[in-house]
Amino acid sequence: MADLQKISEIITEHIKTKGDLKADFTITESTQREISMKDGKFTLFRTLFDNDLSIMVIKDHKRGTKYINTFEKEAVEAAIDEALSSAEASDPDECFDIAPGLEPENFSNKALVPDIDKLMERCLELSEDIARDHKKIKVMEMFAKYTRGHSLFINTNGTRDDSEYGFYQIVMEFAGNDGQNSTGINVSWVNFDNLDKKLIELGSIEKDLTDAENSLDPINISDKFEGDVLFTPACAYQVLSYVMGNTVMDNALVNKTSKWLDKIGEQVASPLLTIRANPWDERIICHEVHTLDGFRSENYDVIEKGVLKSFAASLYASNKCGVERARNTGMDAVVDPGDTPYEDMVKGIKKGLIVGSISCGMPGATGELSGVAKNAFYVEDGKIKGAVMETMISTNLFDMLFNIKAISKELLCNGSMVMPYILAGGVTISGN
Amino acid sequence: MLEDILLKQKSLFETGLQTVLRGQENRYRSVSIQNGNLIGNSRSEERGICSRVYLGGAYGFASTAEYSEEAAARTIKAATENARYLGKYNTQKKEPYPSLGSSYVTSPRMIIDFEQKRIVELCKEIDAHIEKTYPDLLSRSVSYNEMTMEKIIVTSDAADGHVAYPRCGLYVKMSKKSADGQPIELSDAIGGFGDLEDHFKDLTPIYEKIEKLHKQLCDKAEGVYAEAGVKTVILHPDVAGMIAHEAIGHTVEADLVLGGSVANGRIGEQVASDLVSIVDYAHTFRGGQAPLPVYLDDEGVVAKDAVLIENGILKGYMHDRESADHFGAEPCGNSRGYIFSDEPLIRMRNTTVLPGKDTLEDMIASVDDGYYLISTNNGQADLTGEFMFGITSGYEIKNGKLGRAILDTTVSGVAFDLLKTVDMVSDTVTWCPLGYCGKKQMMPVSMGGPAIRCKISIGGR
Repeated sequence: MADLQKISEIITEHIKTKGDLKADFTITESTQREISMKDGKFTLFRTLFDNDLSIMVIKDHKRGTKYINTFEKEAVEAAIDEALSSAEASDPDECFDIAPGLEPENFSNKALVPDIDKLMERCLELSEDIARDHKKIKVMEMFAKYTRGHSLFINTNGTRDDSEYGFYQIVMEFAGNDGQNSTGINVSWVNFDNLDKKLIELGSIEKDLTDAENSLDPINISDKFEGDVLFTPACAYQVLSYVMGNTVMDNALVNKTSKWLDKIGEQVASPLLTIRANPWDERIICHEVHTLDGFRSENYDVIEKGVLKSFAASLYASNKCGVERARNTGMDAVVDPGDTPYEDMVKGIKKGLIVGSISCGMPGATGELSGVAKNAFYVEDGKIKGAVMETMISTNLFDMLFNIKAISKELLCNGSMVMPYILAGGVTISGN
Repeated sequence: MLEDILLKQKSLFETGLQTVLRGQENRYRSVSIQNGNLIGNSRSEERGICSRVYLGGAYGFASTAEYSEEAAARTIKAATENARYLGKYNTQKKEPYPSLGSSYVTSPRMIIDFEQKRIVELCKEIDAHIEKTYPDLLSRSVSYNEMTMEKIIVTSDAADGHVAYPRCGLYVKMSKKSADGQPIELSDAIGGFGDLEDHFKDLTPIYEKIEKLHKQLCDKAEGVYAEAGVKTVILHPDVAGMIAHEAIGHTVEADLVLGGSVANGRIGEQVASDLVSIVDYAHTFRGGQAPLPVYLDDEGVVAKDAVLIENGILKGYMHDRESADHFGAEPCGNSRGYIFSDEPLIRMRNTTVLPGKDTLEDMIASVDDGYYLISTNNGQADLTGEFMFGITSGYEIKNGKLGRAILDTTVSGVAFDLLKTVDMVSDTVTWCPLGYCGKKQMMPVSMGGPAIRCKISIGGR
């Protein structure tokens, strides 16, 4: 184990020799254990020992950053020198800054001691559950991992955050397969902090497996029509991430390409939609404790009942664009549930799709989205008619936010987001 | 030298276990200027040692973020213990895969590092040129990204070697307002294998590419939505290269074949028009250096070309040693890991459609009503061969002539079905040398192709 305190003292002392500058740095030591399975057999067991040091310096309003993965004294001091050289080669910008000093604080979460044997048992159990209950599933690969880390964040204004964390994660890649035909790839993943439950019960794993099995005999949609799309929670997250990336994040603000630059306090979506960035929500496993700039992370609302409440601006973007700084930089999305059961949402669709993901390019600032509907089912008169292939959907994301018809009572909690199903109308759907 | 330290560790490899020890350093240099604001300015290095041990059909793997003899020994020990740990759970044991001949392989090019000041000055100069030359822009960004890899490979039963992959790119993005006030964007990447001085010593060709990009942006700002439906199109080499990589390449990676891809069991079948041949080149293309030359992979396999489709017939898959053993094929050096702590996976290298005999001009002239699709910003493909690409630049073709530009759209189809519609192939291959592939780990790749004429489904309004 590295002595993080001693390394932080070496860094702090070396920074002091560089004169009047602002700096912050993070030192992290981590160990990850990862098990891979294919077709019900263990195929790989990895143990990764990692060290990370990232340092940012601001001198004369010029900023430089450096990252290395060694804690050797000479390398650490050279990294500080190099960050400083990079800063000196840069342009001054008075918007660069670090957070003010905060009282030192320690953070830790629940799963600091792993049980790898138990994790192996849970993986075998999952494999057996799938073999027994989902006979038309081929698991291409499954990764189960445990990550344990210890990090120190320090800035020259006196903040010192000491964080210890540990969490489990499972990622499954699978397809429906009956020996003759295969569906496309499905991915289901969950972060979790204990091994109390069977893995198949976590997140949406069980439902995703069922959906993949039900996708083996796709039907063709030959026409083009405007209809409803019921986005699964994972797909809703994908779509909302595209919106956020083009509107409230730093790039869109600094480049002034955001269509919401002057929309704080205005209606930008259906009143049904509330999006919160809540790292401290108990359903979020292993979240940030301070922002990238060094402020303590707090929950905040991005959109409340359709009204834009805040940008996701960093300290730099805040200073640059004259907008309020966001209370965290993690964007751990928690979307409020609606009052419509999922089954009723399906029944309410006259003609449309349930979509599990969209294969598409990142939409641009105009919000135009077109892509292939994946893991998708055709719905007519409230009934699921079958899975579809080669079906495209297109819409404008900004219009779509106003076209939200219902939000589900049910929520997907996968450890990094809390998301309902979202039903939107006015989407162009075209078959082959 | 680390090379000597790692080679000495062979004495720690356990007899009967197939072991690889890899030392690797990745270096990243990046600068980013947005609207004249220098917002990104960073340098980083990741280095360490990993070991992978094959025993009875499963792998033990370990990595350590240190470059030392002691770390190497510790890493081999941990990987070996992990392999034995899995052995407790796997009752059906597999035999070791066949040994390969030993040799020592080096790549002809190592890495040169430049001071950050030089990179910052380069980006500032180009940004100033864009600001001065194109006052009509709504926004602009100039980014430089350099990612170099250096690997030392030591194996129990294959080749050893020391290889390097220097690569850098300049990314220019511009936006302007359309007539109805919408922000219209377009970007391009310039650079490839080698270092800053190889690609950016003379800025004249860079400015010519930026001028072309600006012209396309202006056309796009007056562009129209593509008409949705199945259309006859000419795919620019950049888009054809994406087809070769995403739509075909991934379906013939042996790990995905074993996962049930559409290519499973179809070796020897006609899967494309007989005008179509696709090869994943190792390091040399038609007598010259391929854009991402790979001489030795991370399993110690000396790299050679992998022929995937020849005259429309599916000829082979891409393998690592284990899958090659499974299929009774020869591994061609496709197994690579991104950072030192990544296990090697089956990856493409320089994947291209081979050229035909048509000229691009004749191909455009042959289309009465269709599209010329020029640029793509990303692509995805599935086990089924179903694919999509985002199209960021293109033009209508009406009566054999280029017409209005089109706005962003998406094209999709099923790979083998699309390739069966190919009826013209241009005579020149153009490479896209700055590709990244994101299959579990990121990985530098290159892709290329001639222009091809085919039918494809276009999304639109």
